[in-house]
Amino acid sequence: MWILRPAKPLDLADIESLASRLNVQAPRLPETTDRFLFVLEDTGHGRIRGLAGIDASAGHGQPFYNYRRDALIHACHDLGVSRRIDVLYPSHALTGQSLLCSLLIEPELRQSHALALLSRARLLFIAQHREQFADEVVVELKGLQTETGEVPFWDSLGRHFFHMDFEAADRYSSELSKTFIAELMPPNPIYVTLLTDSAQAAIGVSHPLAVKSRDLLHREGFRESRYIDIFDGGPVLRAQIDRLETVVSGLTLVFRPGESAHGLLYLVASARDDDFRCVLSPLIEGLDGAAVIPAEMASALGICAGDRVQVAAL
Amino acid sequence: MTLFIRPLREKDLDDLHAMARSAGKGLTTLPADRALLADKIRRTREAFDQQSAPEAGLYLFALEDSRRGRCVGVSGIEARVGRDDVFWNYRLSTTVNASRKLGVHVRTPTLHLTNDMTDATEIGSLYLDERYRQDGNGLLLSLSRFLYLQEFPGHFSDKVFAEMRGVSDKAGYSPFWEALGRRFFDMEFSEADYLSGLGRKSFIAELMPKFPIYLFMLSEAAQAAVAQVHDNTAPALRMLEAEGFNFNGLVDIFDGGPLVEAFIHNIRTARDSLTRPVSISAEAMDSTVPPAKRLMVANGAFRDFRVTTLPAHCVGPESVTVPVELAEILLVKSGDRVRLAPLKRGG
Repeated sequence: MWILRPAKPLDLADIESLASRLNVQAPRLPETTDRFLFVLEDTGHGRIRGLAGIDASAGHGQPFYNYRRDALIHACHDLGVSRRIDVLYPSHALTGQSLLCSLLIEPELRQSHALALLSRARLLFIAQHREQFADEVVVELKGLQTETGEVPFWDSLGRHFFHMDFEAADRYSSELSKTFIAELMPPNPIYVTLLTDSAQAAIGVSHPLAVKSRDLLHREGFRESRYIDIFDGGPVLRAQIDRLETVVSGLTLVFRPGESAHGLLYLVASARDDDFRCVLSPLIEGLDGAAVIPAEMASALGICAGDRVQVAAL
Repeated sequence: MTLFIRPLREKDLDDLHAMARSAGKGLTTLPADRALLADKIRRTREAFDQQSAPEAGLYLFALEDSRRGRCVGVSGIEARVGRDDVFWNYRLSTTVNASRKLGVHVRTPTLHLTNDMTDATEIGSLYLDERYRQDGNGLLLSLSRFLYLQEFPGHFSDKVFAEMRGVSDKAGYSPFWEALGRRFFDMEFSEADYLSGLGRKSFIAELMPKFPIYLFMLSEAAQAAVAQVHDNTAPALRMLEAEGFNFNGLVDIFDGGPLVEAFIHNIRTARDSLTRPVSISAEAMDSTVPPAKRLMVANGAFRDFRVTTLPAHCVGPESVTVPVELAEILLVKSGDRVRLAPLKRGG
């Protein structure tokens, strides 16, 4: 069984081991009340096999950096010439919006329902604590990277200002904060036509490994935006929280024990403030607003008959 | 035969057109277009007649071969650039990204679009008929302008500059243009260059990128061409450097060629010049004296400015002895003051 729950200090070793298996930087445990990190626990193995985070306010009071894709028309009436020039403008416009971040999952689970649980449980959490979050939620998807690890967008731009490869900059970003690194980038707009061809081709394109995750987000109602990541050029997806599929279709029901192994699969989250948990469970919705779910799921959620649960169809 | 400098006149149009045609791409400011050249001569006439707006004006000089009565060279001064149109350059500056925490200290050469030369005085439009490229004629054509600037400072800016032709190959391919201008509108460098000669450079500039350009984003060939001159321009650059001109950090927006500048009081020809009253001699001038032993001699006339050369030994502590045929060319009589300066150095 999969359980999604908040990360705890005791999970740190597991988190680091997962990150090192995936060859990425381990996210730090939240130190402030506006950051949330969840772990996906495999109860069969007692192991952590995925991570997902939310920042209630992107930038945490610091500027949150993106490039905004925009266009200028360079026109000269006298010469009868008019040309569209694509420009990347540094932008802080998304600062303070809520941010889905730190999604990590073991490769063999990427095709399973565990990915949906990991990603969407966050939206149930946001729905439960709606007032803590902004109007909008954004996600930065990992950008293009070659098989040999080169990041064409970084290599054409950021690299020249730091004299370091993407991996090193990424490491500093997670150690020091992305804002710290972003502030070292010059504040001027960038002409797309002057980037290398491979960097231009990488603008707003997500890494093949992010495809599943992107599809999930699309089904939720997220859409590609004019914003891209300033380091790898990956797309930034945006959505209005109150229009997210999980938020709109999510229901609050009352738990009733029962046999329901043949019900449809739902994300079921405990609606307790102190200990958020979410599982994938077969569920039958009673006519009286009851949620009938198997007893072992209820015990994993730590709920008793009569407790409220929040559910969304898988 | 005597060669002398005088203001360009209407009668020079045929000679000027022929020179513009043979100069081809090397002479952006004088395209082989009769109407345009006639207009430049008209502007020159207005400037020397002081009919131009105060402090503004185009001063084109002709090098005349007195025996043939033909104009065999041209040079010019634009009193103030960027008055009617907008004068654009890129400034080659440095952006530093530094963080002690990261151990990062990176310098990024950056081009900023500027109008920094607005109101400065430009020298240019220099061309000498190939048959006359000897005996210091090129020096006379170029350096005589500094005597004019020195004589009439009120009409010009203290700051004088020249745009040096940038790197391009025989086919007219400019690596800087290909990497930058070309990316922003479809036009060959030669066409852009031609349009700019027609006085439409500021229109083209409207199509150029306005935000800073990081040099690393250009091709290596373009980066290497920034602030470098065309091989054919290297001698002119050396001559200006010897006069005290230096690269001022600005480059041409099309070909990346450097601007060199100097303040009039620091230009060697102007600074080292001196004046003497004329004493006219009936003796014929020794025309075999080599350029290194000759001096430029200029009258002090704004409207009928004349410059020619004479042997250095003609200059005495109290006066300069001017053979009568030179006095006629210079339009001076006995007792008039003339300005003198070396033609060639170190010779």
